[in-house]
Amino acid sequence: MKKLYIILILLAVSISAMAQDGRALYTKYSDLPGVEAVYISSAMFRLIGKIPDVEMNGEDVNLAPIIKALKGFYILSTEDQATGNDLYADVTKRLDRGEYELLMEAKEDGEVMRLYTAGDDFTVRSFIMLTRDATEVTFMGLDGDMPRDQLEDLILKAVED
Amino acid sequence: MKNIDEISRLSADDLDRIGQDASVQVPEDFRVRLPHRSRAVWAVAASVAILLGVGIWSLPKPPKDTFDDPYLAYAALEQALGRVGDAIALGASKVEAAEVEFDKINYWK
Repeated sequence: MKKLYIILILLAVSISAMAQDGRALYTKYSDLPGVEAVYISSAMFRLIGKIPDVEMNGEDVNLAPIIKALKGFYILSTEDQATGNDLYADVTKRLDRGEYELLMEAKEDGEVMRLYTAGDDFTVRSFIMLTRDATEVTFMGLDGDMPRDQLEDLILKAVED
Repeated sequence: MKNIDEISRLSADDLDRIGQDASVQVPEDFRVRLPHRSRAVWAVAASVAILLGVGIWSLPKPPKDTFDDPYLAYAALEQALGRVGDAIALGASKVEAAEVEFDKINYWK
């Protein structure tokens, strides 16, 4: 019984920590000079899901279930070298904790792009894109309970387009 | 004073009668002592409560939405997903290029 409690507490702390990663990074870097920052809250996602005129039912992919499942969206981008180095190191440190799985990595002429997901076989709780080139470091994070198959369909559709 | 076994043998009426009896005084040195195991459980529960309290208190406050207009928010989201698509397409093109090279190598083998 005690083991069960400990596992439950660790699981709750781990999920909570994932959800806090994007927010903590955003809070730390969004107000720094030279940083472009975008944040969309879960309340705004609910509003987006209610917009009647927005085309969300494409031919192949229905975005509505994913948009309604989103709880936070964060973008941090900077061309300031010192801030960029700090941001890159901070994100990498969080990703190295082992909660995230590397989905894809591409490197070309010093440019690095990595995609990570955290969750299980059916649900993606966090999706992160980290890119770095000669001039810019960009972090993008999506938090929520996104159905994995629908997120993968969405990404494949984005590649086709 | 009755011990716990004697009290457990009393009927509900007896307990009620004793409870009503104002002549029965509570001893001055009376202390509620939790059993040893209960104390450990309470200590763990208190620690968890304190940790949760500190954790909730130290959580970063929710940031302010960048957009007030859901249409603009949707446009930003669409643009960002487009960037993800571009990044994946870049990776996919590299895989395709590598496959072509592998095919060439296999052709000359």
